[in-house]
Amino acid sequence: MSLAARLGALSARYAFLLQQLVLRDFKVKYKRSVLGVGWSLLYPLLTTAILSLVFSNVFRFSASGVSYVAYLLTGIVFYNYFSEGSNLAMSSVLANSSLIGKVYVPKAVFPLSKCLSSGINFLLSLLPLYLVLLVTGTGLCWQHIYLPWAVGCLFVFTLGVGLLLAAAAVFLRDIVYLYGIVLTLWMYLTPIMYDVSILPSPLQTVIAFNPLAQYIGFARTILLLHRTPEAGQFALCALSAAGTLLVGLHVFRRSQDKFYYYM
Amino acid sequence: MGCAMADDMIRAEGVSMRFQRGMEGGGTLKQAFIDALSPARRAARRQASEFWALRNVDFTVRRGEVLGLIGPNGTGKSTLLKLVAGVLKPTEGRIVLGGTVCPMIELGTGFDLDLTARENIYLNGAILGYSRDFLVRRFDEIVAFSELEPFLDAPLRSFSSGMTARLAFSIATVVEPEILIVDEILSVGDLAFQAKSEERMLRLIGGGTTVLYVSHALASIRRLCSRVLWLEGGRVRAIGEADEICEEYERSC
Repeated sequence: MSLAARLGALSARYAFLLQQLVLRDFKVKYKRSVLGVGWSLLYPLLTTAILSLVFSNVFRFSASGVSYVAYLLTGIVFYNYFSEGSNLAMSSVLANSSLIGKVYVPKAVFPLSKCLSSGINFLLSLLPLYLVLLVTGTGLCWQHIYLPWAVGCLFVFTLGVGLLLAAAAVFLRDIVYLYGIVLTLWMYLTPIMYDVSILPSPLQTVIAFNPLAQYIGFARTILLLHRTPEAGQFALCALSAAGTLLVGLHVFRRSQDKFYYYM
Repeated sequence: MGCAMADDMIRAEGVSMRFQRGMEGGGTLKQAFIDALSPARRAARRQASEFWALRNVDFTVRRGEVLGLIGPNGTGKSTLLKLVAGVLKPTEGRIVLGGTVCPMIELGTGFDLDLTARENIYLNGAILGYSRDFLVRRFDEIVAFSELEPFLDAPLRSFSSGMTARLAFSIATVVEPEILIVDEILSVGDLAFQAKSEERMLRLIGGGTTVLYVSHALASIRRLCSRVLWLEGGRVRAIGEADEICEEYERSC
């Protein structure tokens, strides 16, 4: 059985458990806040407001020919999902260590449920994104039907990284702190606030290999330029996402029987 | 899982379990560097910290049998229960099961304090492997047994530890598993609830399911078990008829 088929079988058999875990994460997240789920909508909007104020007014950043606010928010929504999903997935196995020692549960459900519950957040944050597209006059187009491709790739990639980190963090707790630094670096190596064209060309080549830049670029082609992404973009996004998931699943599966001894 | 004989519900074949001391809590960056630089020292460190919790354990439990597990502390009883529950995989040998296992090892695993009692019944039930249909069907029974109806929609954070234990017990014991793993008879809550919960445990054990039962109370082992396995230092010291083994065990203490 292929790894992807295994993951499929796993989620079918444990669908109820997965659903309960996702529901729990989502309910608990805003349980004690007044605005509750409103934060999922407000948070990306406020971040964008601050960043666009800083970058377009102070540093005079702009995106060629498109609304800078819409440009910024697209990047932020995608990056925030990756950052939140992979971070939560990384600690998910450790956080459930007491459970793992007592009941048999396939351990991959923990990172998977975190990536899914962050996914709900992501989908909610598409609402303010569309609002901004309308308000800035960017508008809509039929090419939006291709957007799920970028979203799907982003999810698969995040899950792959999450599985890899969740396994690694069990054996080496330092990973949790190291990853915070890596994420900061990763954010600046992703064209969220700036346009790739302002970088020197060697750096542009590096960024072309950054999967997040690929997915965000894909989404921007649709949302801001109203164009169908090129075939190469479709292929590259799918390749980086599927490849990362395969590596993550492989490492997780190979090491999961040893988790117990390290917890 | 291989195929078991028709009536063998649990079969352990040459099961050994090796642990390494000092790995709990994961490694550190420093240790990872030292290990990478000197593989020989790493191997030596591993070997020195090795320890066998179980060595070459063989036994079978047939359908409907109640097998008692006795022995001093730190002798591998809990490790054996975890192996049968599937939480651990044996280093050597294998365990073949003839049915679904319900490990009643620790109650309330995975409870979330921020969720209500109602939500926790579903969450905890899902973790224990119950299906949605089963939980919907048995929901009222769980609530009735726990006597927590008025507090169903209060967050678990506001429960006393006795109330939490009652809820956990009611969820865990609503099943009719084919194989039941019990680590001491659980009786929780206040005096009235203790009597009720103990009675339910006894009914579960005596109800024709296959049971693997660990206890230090020899009286209850004698009363409930048909056969007894005596573990010592991770090895099978004796296995056989309950009264006989218990007597031998008492004499050795």
